[in-house]
Amino acid sequence: MAMRVWASSTANALRISCAPKSSLYPSFSLSKCFSTVLDGLKYSTSHEWVKHEGSVATVGITAHAQEHLGEVVFVELPENGASVSKGRSFGAVESVKATSDVNSPISGEVVEINSALTEKPGTINSSPYEEGWMIKVKPSNPAELDSLLGPKEYTKFCVEEDAAH
Amino acid sequence: MALLLVRKLNLLETEETRWCRGRPKLTWDALIRKDAMRLHRSLEVWKMGFVNYLEALKLQEKLAHDRKMGKISDTLLALQHPPTYTLGKRKTTHNLLVSEEELQHMGAELHYTERGGDVTFHGPRQAILYPIISLRDLGLGARMYVENLELTMIKFASLYGVTARRGNKCETGVWVEDRKIGAIGVRISSGITSHGLAFNIDPDLNYFKHIVPCGIADKGVTSLRKETNVALPADEVLHEQLLSCFAGVFGFTTVVEKDNISVSGDEEKRV
Repeated sequence: MAMRVWASSTANALRISCAPKSSLYPSFSLSKCFSTVLDGLKYSTSHEWVKHEGSVATVGITAHAQEHLGEVVFVELPENGASVSKGRSFGAVESVKATSDVNSPISGEVVEINSALTEKPGTINSSPYEEGWMIKVKPSNPAELDSLLGPKEYTKFCVEEDAAH
Repeated sequence: MALLLVRKLNLLETEETRWCRGRPKLTWDALIRKDAMRLHRSLEVWKMGFVNYLEALKLQEKLAHDRKMGKISDTLLALQHPPTYTLGKRKTTHNLLVSEEELQHMGAELHYTERGGDVTFHGPRQAILYPIISLRDLGLGARMYVENLELTMIKFASLYGVTARRGNKCETGVWVEDRKIGAIGVRISSGITSHGLAFNIDPDLNYFKHIVPCGIADKGVTSLRKETNVALPADEVLHEQLLSCFAGVFGFTTVVEKDNISVSGDEEKRV
Protein backbone atom coordinates (compact mmCIF):
# COMPACT_ATOMS: atom_id res chain seq x y z
CA MET A 1 0.00 0.00 0.00
CA ALA A 2 2.84 2.39 0.89
CA MET A 3 4.48 1.72 -2.47
CA ARG A 4 1.18 2.43 -4.20
CA VAL A 5 0.74 5.76 -2.41
CA TRP A 6 4.33 6.73 -3.14
CA ALA A 7 3.96 5.78 -6.81
CA SER A 8 0.72 7.71 -6.99
CA SER A 9 2.13 10.90 -5.55
CA THR A 10 5.18 10.64 -7.75
CA ALA A 11 2.99 9.96 -10.75
CA ASN A 12 1.14 13.14 -9.93
CA ALA A 13 4.43 15.00 -9.82
CA LEU A 14 5.31 13.55 -13.22
CA ARG A 15 1.78 14.35 -14.40
CA ILE A 16 0.97 10.82 -15.44
CA SER A 17 -2.03 8.83 -14.33
CA CYS A 18 -1.91 5.92 -11.95
CA ALA A 19 -5.37 4.55 -11.41
CA PRO A 20 -5.88 0.81 -11.27
CA LYS A 21 -9.51 0.03 -10.63
CA SER A 22 -9.11 -3.55 -9.48
CA SER A 23 -9.06 -4.37 -5.78
CA LEU A 24 -6.22 -6.84 -6.39
CA TYR A 25 -2.82 -5.33 -5.72
CA PRO A 26 -1.34 -4.03 -8.99
CA SER A 27 2.26 -5.00 -9.65
CA PHE A 28 2.66 -2.03 -11.93
CA SER A 29 0.47 0.71 -13.29
CA LEU A 30 2.03 4.10 -13.77
CA SER A 31 1.15 5.79 -17.02
CA LYS A 32 -1.96 6.18 -19.12
CA CYS A 33 -0.01 4.26 -21.76
CA PHE A 34 -0.01 1.12 -19.63
CA SER A 35 -2.97 -1.04 -18.72
CA THR A 36 -3.22 -2.64 -15.32
CA VAL A 37 -1.17 -5.78 -14.84
CA LEU A 38 -1.81 -7.72 -11.65
CA ASP A 39 0.35 -9.77 -9.34
CA GLY A 40 -0.64 -13.35 -8.72
CA LEU A 41 -1.65 -14.00 -12.34
CA LYS A 42 0.11 -15.54 -15.30
CA TYR A 43 -0.19 -14.13 -18.79
CA SER A 44 -0.04 -15.27 -22.40
CA THR A 45 1.43 -13.36 -25.32
CA SER A 46 -2.06 -13.27 -26.83
CA HIS A 47 -3.19 -11.21 -23.84
CA GLU A 48 -5.12 -13.69 -21.74
CA TRP A 49 -4.59 -14.12 -18.00
CA VAL A 50 -4.91 -17.17 -15.79
CA LYS A 51 -5.21 -17.44 -12.01
CA HIS A 52 -4.40 -20.85 -10.60
CA GLU A 53 -6.00 -21.56 -7.22
CA GLY A 54 -5.87 -25.14 -6.05
CA SER A 55 -7.40 -27.43 -8.66
CA VAL A 56 -9.08 -24.67 -10.66
CA ALA A 57 -7.65 -22.07 -13.02
CA THR A 58 -9.66 -18.98 -13.93
CA VAL A 59 -9.12 -17.44 -17.37
CA GLY A 60 -9.95 -14.07 -18.88
CA ILE A 61 -8.50 -11.38 -21.11
CA THR A 62 -6.26 -8.62 -19.86
CA ALA A 63 -6.91 -4.91 -19.47
CA HIS A 64 -4.51 -4.35 -22.38
CA ALA A 65 -6.61 -6.66 -24.56
CA GLN A 66 -9.95 -5.04 -23.74
CA GLU A 67 -8.56 -1.58 -24.43
CA HIS A 68 -7.44 -2.63 -27.90
CA LEU A 69 -10.75 -4.36 -28.60
CA GLY A 70 -13.11 -1.56 -27.78
CA GLU A 71 -16.49 -2.08 -26.16
CA VAL A 72 -17.36 -5.77 -26.03
CA VAL A 73 -20.94 -6.39 -27.15
CA PHE A 74 -21.04 -10.18 -27.37
CA VAL A 75 -19.19 -13.05 -25.75
CA GLU A 76 -19.13 -16.64 -26.96
CA LEU A 77 -18.09 -19.20 -24.36
CA PRO A 78 -17.69 -22.98 -24.50
CA GLU A 79 -20.02 -25.33 -22.67
CA ASN A 80 -19.26 -26.84 -19.29
CA GLY A 81 -17.27 -29.98 -19.72
CA ALA A 82 -15.68 -28.86 -22.97
CA SER A 83 -11.97 -29.43 -23.45
CA VAL A 84 -9.63 -26.53 -23.97
CA SER A 85 -6.06 -26.66 -25.24
CA LYS A 86 -3.18 -24.33 -24.55
CA GLY A 87 -2.87 -21.79 -27.33
CA ARG A 88 -6.12 -22.82 -29.01
CA SER A 89 -9.32 -20.81 -29.19
CA PHE A 90 -12.02 -21.51 -26.62
CA GLY A 91 -14.41 -18.71 -27.46
CA ALA A 92 -14.70 -15.26 -28.93
CA VAL A 93 -15.66 -11.70 -28.15
CA GLU A 94 -17.26 -9.19 -30.50
CA SER A 95 -16.50 -5.48 -30.47
CA VAL A 96 -16.78 -2.81 -33.18
CA LYS A 97 -18.20 -5.36 -35.65
CA ALA A 98 -15.11 -7.58 -35.17
CA THR A 99 -15.15 -11.03 -33.62
CA SER A 100 -11.85 -11.88 -31.97
CA ASP A 101 -10.97 -15.40 -30.90
CA VAL A 102 -9.88 -15.83 -27.30
CA ASN A 103 -7.20 -18.46 -26.72
CA SER A 104 -6.76 -20.60 -23.62
CA PRO A 105 -3.41 -20.24 -21.83
CA ILE A 106 -3.76 -23.78 -20.47
CA SER A 107 -5.19 -27.18 -21.34
CA GLY A 108 -7.93 -28.86 -19.38
CA GLU A 109 -11.65 -29.22 -18.85
CA VAL A 110 -14.06 -26.33 -18.51
CA VAL A 111 -15.76 -26.62 -15.10
CA GLU A 112 -17.57 -23.28 -15.03
CA ILE A 113 -18.37 -20.46 -17.44
CA ASN A 114 -19.27 -16.88 -16.62
CA SER A 115 -22.86 -16.82 -17.85
CA ALA A 116 -23.28 -13.26 -16.61
CA LEU A 117 -21.27 -12.14 -19.63
CA THR A 118 -24.20 -13.07 -21.88
CA GLU A 119 -26.30 -10.28 -20.41
CA LYS A 120 -23.45 -7.91 -19.63
CA PRO A 121 -20.59 -8.46 -22.06
CA GLY A 122 -19.18 -5.02 -21.24
CA THR A 123 -18.08 -6.40 -17.87
CA ILE A 124 -14.99 -7.59 -19.71
CA ASN A 125 -14.11 -3.94 -20.32
CA SER A 126 -15.00 -2.62 -16.86
CA SER A 127 -13.58 -5.50 -14.83
CA PRO A 128 -11.32 -7.68 -16.96
CA TYR A 129 -9.62 -9.40 -14.01
CA GLU A 130 -12.58 -9.88 -11.66
CA GLU A 131 -16.21 -9.87 -12.72
CA GLY A 132 -15.10 -10.21 -16.38
CA TRP A 133 -13.56 -13.69 -15.94
CA MET A 134 -14.58 -15.99 -18.79
CA ILE A 135 -14.02 -19.65 -17.89
CA LYS A 136 -12.77 -21.80 -15.06
CA VAL A 137 -10.67 -24.80 -16.05
CA LYS A 138 -9.47 -27.92 -14.31
CA PRO A 139 -5.90 -27.99 -15.68
CA SER A 140 -4.79 -31.27 -17.22
CA ASN A 141 -1.14 -30.20 -17.16
CA PRO A 142 -0.40 -27.56 -14.49
CA ALA A 143 3.22 -27.43 -15.66
CA GLU A 144 1.97 -25.41 -18.65
CA LEU A 145 1.65 -22.46 -16.29
CA ASP A 146 5.43 -22.35 -15.92
CA SER A 147 5.89 -21.31 -19.53
CA LEU A 148 3.50 -18.37 -19.22
CA LEU A 149 4.64 -14.82 -18.48
CA GLY A 150 4.69 -13.39 -14.99
CA PRO A 151 3.42 -9.85 -14.31
CA LYS A 152 6.80 -8.21 -14.93
CA GLU A 153 7.46 -10.16 -18.12
CA TYR A 154 3.96 -9.43 -19.39
CA THR A 155 4.30 -5.73 -18.64
CA LYS A 156 7.61 -5.69 -20.53
CA PHE A 157 5.95 -7.60 -23.39
CA CYS A 158 3.15 -5.02 -23.65
CA VAL A 159 5.54 -2.08 -23.49
CA GLU A 160 7.69 -3.55 -26.26
CA GLU A 161 4.67 -4.52 -28.35
CA ASP A 162 3.12 -1.05 -28.15
CA ALA A 163 6.41 0.81 -28.51
CA ALA A 164 7.44 -1.12 -31.60
CA HIS A 165 4.70 0.36 -33.79
CA MET B 1 11.75 11.96 -6.16
CA ALA B 2 10.97 11.46 -9.86
CA LEU B 3 14.53 10.29 -10.65
CA LEU B 4 14.40 7.84 -7.74
CA LEU B 5 11.17 6.35 -9.09
CA VAL B 6 12.63 5.92 -12.58
CA ARG B 7 15.65 4.07 -11.20
CA LYS B 8 13.44 1.81 -9.08
CA LEU B 9 11.56 0.73 -12.22
CA ASN B 10 14.67 -0.68 -13.94
CA LEU B 11 12.79 -3.88 -14.52
CA LEU B 12 11.11 -2.23 -17.51
CA GLU B 13 14.33 -1.35 -19.31
CA THR B 14 15.15 -3.66 -22.15
CA GLU B 15 17.50 -3.65 -25.06
CA GLU B 16 14.79 -2.01 -27.08
CA THR B 17 13.43 0.56 -24.68
CA ARG B 18 14.73 3.01 -22.18
CA TRP B 19 12.97 5.31 -19.84
CA CYS B 20 12.83 8.96 -20.58
CA ARG B 21 10.70 11.27 -18.44
CA GLY B 22 8.50 8.41 -17.31
CA ARG B 23 7.66 7.09 -20.77
CA PRO B 24 9.37 4.34 -22.77
CA LYS B 25 11.41 5.38 -25.76
CA LEU B 26 12.98 3.12 -28.33
CA THR B 27 16.76 2.94 -28.41
CA TRP B 28 18.46 4.34 -31.50
CA ASP B 29 19.06 0.88 -32.99
CA ALA B 30 15.44 -0.09 -32.43
CA LEU B 31 14.25 3.09 -34.12
CA ILE B 32 16.35 2.32 -37.18
CA ARG B 33 14.96 -1.23 -37.31
CA LYS B 34 11.42 0.10 -36.90
CA ASP B 35 11.84 2.54 -39.78
CA ALA B 36 13.41 -0.17 -41.94
CA MET B 37 10.37 -2.40 -41.37
CA ARG B 38 8.05 0.45 -42.26
CA LEU B 39 9.85 0.98 -45.57
CA HIS B 40 9.05 -2.55 -46.69
CA ARG B 41 5.46 -3.53 -46.04
CA SER B 42 4.10 -5.63 -48.86
CA LEU B 43 0.50 -6.52 -49.75
CA GLU B 44 -0.51 -9.16 -52.27
CA VAL B 45 -3.82 -8.29 -53.92
CA TRP B 46 -6.04 -10.87 -55.59
CA LYS B 47 -8.48 -9.19 -57.99
CA MET B 48 -11.15 -11.80 -58.35
CA GLY B 49 -14.15 -10.27 -60.10
CA PHE B 50 -17.45 -11.96 -59.17
CA VAL B 51 -17.08 -14.73 -56.61
CA ASN B 52 -19.69 -16.90 -54.93
CA TYR B 53 -19.79 -16.11 -51.20
CA LEU B 54 -19.03 -19.61 -49.93
CA GLU B 55 -16.12 -20.03 -52.31
CA ALA B 56 -14.66 -16.72 -51.15
CA LEU B 57 -15.16 -17.79 -47.54
CA LYS B 58 -13.30 -21.08 -48.06
CA LEU B 59 -10.46 -19.25 -49.77
CA GLN B 60 -10.23 -16.77 -46.89
CA GLU B 61 -10.06 -19.61 -44.36
CA LYS B 62 -7.21 -21.23 -46.25
CA LEU B 63 -5.33 -17.96 -46.69
CA ALA B 64 -5.83 -17.00 -43.04
CA HIS B 65 -4.38 -20.32 -41.98
CA ASP B 66 -1.44 -19.88 -44.35
CA ARG B 67 -0.87 -16.35 -43.07
CA LYS B 68 -0.92 -17.57 -39.48
CA MET B 69 1.69 -20.21 -40.37
CA GLY B 70 3.82 -17.56 -42.08
CA LYS B 71 3.52 -19.31 -45.45
CA ILE B 72 2.22 -16.15 -47.13
CA SER B 73 2.51 -12.44 -46.53
CA ASP B 74 -0.37 -10.02 -46.00
CA THR B 75 -2.97 -10.66 -48.68
CA LEU B 76 -6.17 -8.95 -49.77
CA LEU B 77 -9.06 -10.22 -51.87
CA ALA B 78 -10.84 -7.59 -53.98
CA LEU B 79 -14.12 -8.84 -55.42
CA GLN B 80 -17.87 -8.59 -55.80
CA HIS B 81 -20.54 -11.10 -54.83
CA PRO B 82 -23.75 -12.11 -56.57
CA PRO B 83 -26.81 -11.13 -54.48
CA THR B 84 -26.05 -12.53 -51.03
CA TYR B 85 -27.33 -11.89 -47.53
CA THR B 86 -25.07 -12.76 -44.60
CA LEU B 87 -25.44 -12.92 -40.84
CA GLY B 88 -22.69 -12.54 -38.27
CA LYS B 89 -21.71 -14.69 -35.30
CA ARG B 90 -24.61 -13.36 -33.23
CA LYS B 91 -27.07 -14.80 -35.78
CA THR B 92 -29.40 -11.81 -35.63
CA THR B 93 -32.05 -13.45 -37.79
CA HIS B 94 -34.70 -11.09 -36.39
CA ASN B 95 -33.15 -8.44 -38.65
CA LEU B 96 -33.92 -10.54 -41.73
CA LEU B 97 -37.40 -9.41 -42.78
CA VAL B 98 -38.18 -12.16 -45.27
CA SER B 99 -37.91 -15.93 -45.22
CA GLU B 100 -35.03 -17.85 -46.72
CA GLU B 101 -37.44 -19.22 -49.37
CA GLU B 102 -38.37 -15.71 -50.43
CA LEU B 103 -34.70 -14.81 -50.69
CA GLN B 104 -34.12 -17.80 -52.93
CA HIS B 105 -37.02 -16.67 -55.16
CA MET B 106 -35.25 -13.34 -55.48
CA GLY B 107 -32.16 -15.20 -56.62
CA ALA B 108 -30.22 -14.37 -53.47
CA GLU B 109 -28.27 -16.65 -51.13
CA LEU B 110 -28.16 -16.54 -47.33
CA HIS B 111 -25.06 -17.46 -45.33
CA TYR B 112 -24.21 -17.62 -41.65
CA THR B 113 -20.68 -16.51 -40.79
CA GLU B 114 -18.27 -16.09 -37.89
CA ARG B 115 -17.63 -12.40 -38.57
CA GLY B 116 -18.68 -9.58 -36.30
CA GLY B 117 -21.57 -7.35 -37.18
CA ASP B 118 -25.22 -7.82 -38.01
CA VAL B 119 -27.12 -8.82 -41.15
CA THR B 120 -26.02 -7.27 -44.40
CA PHE B 121 -26.41 -7.55 -48.17
CA HIS B 122 -23.71 -7.98 -50.78
CA GLY B 123 -24.34 -7.67 -54.50
CA PRO B 124 -23.15 -6.45 -57.87
CA ARG B 125 -21.56 -2.99 -57.88
CA GLN B 126 -20.63 -3.19 -54.26
CA ALA B 127 -16.85 -3.17 -53.88
CA ILE B 128 -15.63 -5.68 -51.33
CA LEU B 129 -12.17 -5.92 -49.76
CA TYR B 130 -11.25 -8.93 -47.63
CA PRO B 131 -7.83 -8.24 -46.06
CA ILE B 132 -6.07 -11.34 -44.72
CA ILE B 133 -3.44 -9.54 -42.71
CA SER B 134 -1.54 -9.91 -39.47
CA LEU B 135 -2.67 -7.30 -36.96
CA ARG B 136 0.21 -8.23 -34.69
CA ASP B 137 2.73 -7.36 -37.39
CA LEU B 138 0.96 -4.05 -37.92
CA GLY B 139 0.65 -3.40 -34.20
CA LEU B 140 -3.10 -2.92 -34.39
CA GLY B 141 -5.89 -4.06 -32.13
CA ALA B 142 -9.41 -4.74 -33.37
CA ARG B 143 -10.61 -1.24 -32.69
CA MET B 144 -7.78 0.48 -34.57
CA TYR B 145 -8.08 -1.99 -37.44
CA VAL B 146 -11.77 -1.25 -37.87
CA GLU B 147 -11.16 2.50 -37.60
CA ASN B 148 -8.63 2.19 -40.40
CA LEU B 149 -11.13 0.28 -42.55
CA GLU B 150 -13.59 3.11 -41.95
CA LEU B 151 -10.92 5.67 -42.85
CA THR B 152 -10.19 3.76 -46.06
CA MET B 153 -13.80 4.17 -47.18
CA ILE B 154 -14.01 7.79 -46.01
CA LYS B 155 -10.92 8.69 -48.04
CA PHE B 156 -12.29 6.85 -51.05
CA ALA B 157 -15.62 8.66 -50.87
CA SER B 158 -13.83 12.00 -50.61
CA LEU B 159 -12.23 11.38 -54.01
CA TYR B 160 -15.68 12.02 -55.43
CA GLY B 161 -16.55 14.94 -53.23
CA VAL B 162 -18.61 12.85 -50.83
CA THR B 163 -18.16 13.70 -47.17
CA ALA B 164 -18.51 10.46 -45.27
CA ARG B 165 -17.98 9.90 -41.57
CA ARG B 166 -17.57 7.14 -39.03
CA GLY B 167 -20.69 5.89 -37.34
CA ASN B 168 -21.67 6.91 -33.84
CA LYS B 169 -21.05 4.51 -30.98
CA CYS B 170 -22.36 1.04 -31.85
CA GLU B 171 -22.86 2.12 -35.49
CA THR B 172 -19.59 0.89 -36.95
CA GLY B 173 -19.43 1.64 -40.63
CA VAL B 174 -19.28 4.66 -42.90
CA TRP B 175 -22.13 7.10 -43.28
CA VAL B 176 -23.14 10.07 -45.38
CA GLU B 177 -25.28 12.03 -42.94
CA ASP B 178 -27.66 9.30 -41.72
CA ARG B 179 -27.35 7.05 -44.77
CA LYS B 180 -24.95 4.12 -44.69
CA ILE B 181 -22.57 3.86 -47.62
CA GLY B 182 -20.01 1.37 -46.29
CA ALA B 183 -20.26 -1.64 -44.01
CA ILE B 184 -17.71 -3.54 -41.97
CA GLY B 185 -17.71 -7.05 -40.55
CA VAL B 186 -14.48 -8.65 -39.44
CA ARG B 187 -13.15 -11.84 -37.96
CA ILE B 188 -9.83 -11.94 -36.10
CA SER B 189 -8.33 -15.31 -35.29
CA SER B 190 -4.82 -15.64 -33.86
CA GLY B 191 -4.30 -12.02 -34.87
CA ILE B 192 -5.14 -12.68 -38.55
CA THR B 193 -8.07 -10.86 -40.15
CA SER B 194 -10.69 -12.15 -42.54
CA HIS B 195 -13.94 -10.73 -43.96
CA GLY B 196 -13.61 -6.93 -44.18
CA LEU B 197 -15.45 -4.06 -45.80
CA ALA B 198 -18.17 -3.52 -48.39
CA PHE B 199 -18.60 -0.16 -50.10
CA ASN B 200 -21.71 0.68 -52.11
CA ILE B 201 -20.65 1.97 -55.53
CA ASP B 202 -24.05 1.54 -57.18
CA PRO B 203 -25.75 -1.66 -56.00
CA ASP B 204 -29.50 -2.19 -56.29
CA LEU B 205 -30.49 -0.64 -52.96
CA ASN B 206 -33.92 -2.35 -53.08
CA TYR B 207 -32.23 -5.49 -51.78
CA PHE B 208 -31.64 -3.67 -48.48
CA LYS B 209 -35.41 -3.35 -47.96
CA HIS B 210 -35.55 -7.00 -46.93
CA ILE B 211 -33.28 -6.53 -43.92
CA VAL B 212 -32.71 -4.11 -41.09
CA PRO B 213 -29.22 -3.23 -42.39
CA CYS B 214 -26.62 -3.89 -39.74
CA GLY B 215 -29.43 -3.99 -37.20
CA ILE B 216 -29.96 -0.23 -37.31
CA ALA B 217 -33.66 0.38 -37.91
CA ASP B 218 -34.06 4.09 -38.39
CA LYS B 219 -31.31 4.79 -40.88
CA GLY B 220 -31.14 4.31 -44.65
CA VAL B 221 -28.54 3.06 -47.08
CA THR B 222 -26.97 4.90 -49.97
CA SER B 223 -24.32 4.58 -52.64
CA LEU B 224 -21.54 6.57 -54.22
CA ARG B 225 -23.70 6.97 -57.34
CA LYS B 226 -26.47 8.57 -55.32
CA GLU B 227 -24.25 10.85 -53.28
CA THR B 228 -21.91 12.29 -55.91
CA ASN B 229 -22.47 14.65 -58.79
CA VAL B 230 -19.23 13.52 -60.38
CA ALA B 231 -19.39 11.07 -63.27
CA LEU B 232 -18.05 7.74 -62.04
CA PRO B 233 -15.33 5.93 -64.01
CA ALA B 234 -15.42 2.20 -64.71
CA ASP B 235 -15.60 -0.18 -61.75
CA GLU B 236 -12.06 -1.29 -62.42
CA VAL B 237 -10.81 2.24 -61.82
CA LEU B 238 -12.96 2.66 -58.73
CA HIS B 239 -11.71 -0.59 -57.22
CA GLU B 240 -8.13 0.42 -57.92
CA GLN B 241 -8.71 3.70 -56.12
CA LEU B 242 -10.29 1.95 -53.14
CA LEU B 243 -7.29 -0.37 -53.00
CA SER B 244 -4.94 2.62 -53.07
CA CYS B 245 -6.80 4.18 -50.18
CA PHE B 246 -6.48 0.92 -48.22
CA ALA B 247 -2.78 0.59 -48.95
CA GLY B 248 -2.19 4.20 -47.95
CA VAL B 249 -4.13 4.02 -44.69
CA PHE B 250 -2.43 0.78 -43.62
CA GLY B 251 1.04 1.82 -44.72
CA PHE B 252 1.65 -0.82 -47.36
CA THR B 253 4.52 0.37 -49.51
CA THR B 254 4.46 -2.40 -52.09
CA VAL B 255 1.32 -3.81 -53.69
CA VAL B 256 1.68 -6.92 -55.84
CA GLU B 257 -1.32 -7.94 -57.93
CA LYS B 258 -2.26 -11.46 -58.86
CA ASP B 259 -4.50 -12.16 -61.86
CA ASN B 260 -6.16 -15.31 -63.23
CA ILE B 261 -6.72 -16.71 -59.81
CA SER B 262 -8.56 -19.95 -59.26
CA VAL B 263 -11.16 -19.55 -56.52
CA SER B 264 -10.22 -22.92 -55.08
CA GLY B 265 -6.99 -21.32 -53.98
CA ASP B 266 -5.12 -24.41 -55.15
CA GLU B 267 -1.44 -23.50 -55.34
CA GLU B 268 -1.03 -25.29 -58.64
CA LYS B 269 -3.70 -23.21 -60.28
CA ARG B 270 -2.37 -19.85 -59.17
CA VAL B 271 -0.74 -17.82 -61.92
